[in-house]
Amino acid sequence: MKTPRIALSIRAQLLLVLTVFLALPWLGVEYVRELERVLRDAQERTLAGTAQAVATALHDRPRLFANPPDPIASFARERAADAGKGSPTLPPSASPEIAQIVEGLSRTTARIWVIDRDGTVLARAGTLKTVPPQVPPDSLWQRIGRATIGRLYALVLEQPTEDFSDDAATQGAPRGRDVEGALAGILTTERRATSDGKATIVSAAHPIWVGDQVRGVVIAEETANAVLAERNRAFERLFNIVLAVLLIGSLALTGYATWLSSRIRRLRDDAERAIDEQGRVREPLASSDAGDEIGDLSRSFSSVLARLSDYASYQEKMASRLSHELRTPVAVVRSSLENLAASPLPDDARIYMTRAQEGLARLTQILTRMTEAARLEQSLSDVELEHFDLVPLVAGCVAGYRLAYPQAELRFAAPAAAVDIRGAPDLIAQMLDKLAANAVEFAAGAPIDIRLDRGADHVQLVVANAGPPLPEGMRDRLFESMVSVRTGGDAGAPHLGLGLYIVRVIAQFHGGNVRADNRADGGGVAFTVTLPLAAAR
Amino acid sequence: MRRIAIVEDEPAIRANYAEALRRHGYDVATYANRADALAAFRTRLPDLALVDIGLGDDMDGGFTLTRELRAMSATVPILFLSARDSDFDIVAGLRLGADDYLTKDVSLPHLAARIAALFRRSELLAAPPASEDIVERGPLALDVKRLTADWNGRRVDLTLTEFWMVHALARHPGHVKDRDALMRDASIVVDDSTITSHVKRIRRKFLALDPGFDRIATVYGMGYRWGE
Repeated sequence: MKTPRIALSIRAQLLLVLTVFLALPWLGVEYVRELERVLRDAQERTLAGTAQAVATALHDRPRLFANPPDPIASFARERAADAGKGSPTLPPSASPEIAQIVEGLSRTTARIWVIDRDGTVLARAGTLKTVPPQVPPDSLWQRIGRATIGRLYALVLEQPTEDFSDDAATQGAPRGRDVEGALAGILTTERRATSDGKATIVSAAHPIWVGDQVRGVVIAEETANAVLAERNRAFERLFNIVLAVLLIGSLALTGYATWLSSRIRRLRDDAERAIDEQGRVREPLASSDAGDEIGDLSRSFSSVLARLSDYASYQEKMASRLSHELRTPVAVVRSSLENLAASPLPDDARIYMTRAQEGLARLTQILTRMTEAARLEQSLSDVELEHFDLVPLVAGCVAGYRLAYPQAELRFAAPAAAVDIRGAPDLIAQMLDKLAANAVEFAAGAPIDIRLDRGADHVQLVVANAGPPLPEGMRDRLFESMVSVRTGGDAGAPHLGLGLYIVRVIAQFHGGNVRADNRADGGGVAFTVTLPLAAAR
Repeated sequence: MRRIAIVEDEPAIRANYAEALRRHGYDVATYANRADALAAFRTRLPDLALVDIGLGDDMDGGFTLTRELRAMSATVPILFLSARDSDFDIVAGLRLGADDYLTKDVSLPHLAARIAALFRRSELLAAPPASEDIVERGPLALDVKRLTADWNGRRVDLTLTEFWMVHALARHPGHVKDRDALMRDASIVVDDSTITSHVKRIRRKFLALDPGFDRIATVYGMGYRWGE
């Protein structure tokens, strides 16, 4: 069973590995959250400190709280509040003395209220809304940054705004949980959203003690905008860095992966180019001198190919070397026999002489055939290619075979038009000789069909005989060197299984191929040589 | 008595060839390696040299010896004899100045005939041509006695094998000679592809003299024909 495989390039794999770095933004978010918490605490403590400082200045001064609220002042305040509805008009301080003290202690960013137990505002100072500081004009980069990535941040992050509705400014002192707590004598801090939800207000309320009585409350208020802005700034800077790191990291990894895979691809292409369709080593692989594993791979590829090439050439030269080595002893035997023949011999010795010479002739024929394929391959390197018409060549060859094999019935069919191919006519004729000899041998007297079929960009040369079908499994091996399906027992010409090998060598030399098929009706075997037409090459 | 030098590293072949040639009435000197042969040639040139290409460990010793012998004499007939039969060896040998090339498949009678022909050619080259020995086919003139070929009055430098192949073709112009017939006429025993390369070499030699030469036509599946 084949396991399903996901095909991922090295680049894709490395980018997948890079997703691990997506944990960085998460870490950043956690860090910024922690920072925000610390800042909030600090803000609350500061506000509490402010409230406490103001309260300290007001402790144990009963005179300040002695006066009952002036009804006129109270009325005037309410009128002013009515008149100023919708505009942040300050209610007048009911107590100028307290106002004086509070003014002295107030800070720019915080608003301080002093109220009595009834919630009457005794004094207030400062404002919640701060004027945005004058920023120097942005550089181009900052503008581009704000227009692109800034927008993204704005979507994700809560942006501080000074444009919120400050209810307390118009409706009098706040009466939140913090005031309740302070009235009970405890320093209390509280966060609350504005009524329109656009901002958060942090407030701290501190009781004002006169003796052991709570006579009033100091409330220090501030928006959370400063903390928010600080948080946002930290967040943006962190994300800018993370994004830059991710971008540079992925670019570097992509580049690295591209380089790596291009080297591997080059190695693969080289390796594929080094071996031709028949599995023979075409050219040695140039080994890389890189010191890494890919360099190692290339070197071992190269040495494997070199060894393969050595082995292949050893095999190819085997027959020709064997025949060369055998020629000398054969020449010794031949010349000895011939010298013997020149001297007077008894008649019975003549018989043995004849037999020895017959055996020698066959041995010589075997040796010649053994070298034929090797010599053909050797001669291919300097064959001159020419354009020629295949039809008259095949017709001429068939006419020759009719003379050479008078016992065989040859049928020939070819297209009327010229079939131009580019190649060596001698070699094509030699190839046809082998196919014809093979067909005549297997036809056993039945007719042999030789046919030329012209296709769009190729021509098929078919030589079919009515001989016994090919054994299954032999069809592909038939064209290999030294492979024969003959059953033997033929004492005539020796068979080395080189004829069809020569056919294949010549067909492939012309950019074509050869195959053998049993005829569909089981009535014989058809050899088909396919060659490209001249125009198609 | 004509003197033949045999340079051959295989003792049995050397002895057999020497004996056969002596039977044909030649004086035969045998040498096993290049150094011995060269030393002997310096004192006395043979009338004909039969040289094996591979001499023991000296793979191309025969080629070297041919070059040296040719430098000593431009006319001594040199016959290559080798177990090798690749086109490369044949071409290399002939280019170095050998007069002919035979493989060791050659039979002794053939060898003797070839040697006799070489002697005849070198002997008659000096004598004036007799018209009855000349076969003329248009621009081609073959002197059957001297075994020389001329094309448009210019000498075509053919080996004996090549001469006999041209002779076999030109004697009956228009008749197709198949490869077996050419082999018989040239008294050589080789395979078909060697005939093909012989014909190619012959064509090339004529083409070198006359770029328009197209008299030797290939009749595919049958053989070759001399065209008028």
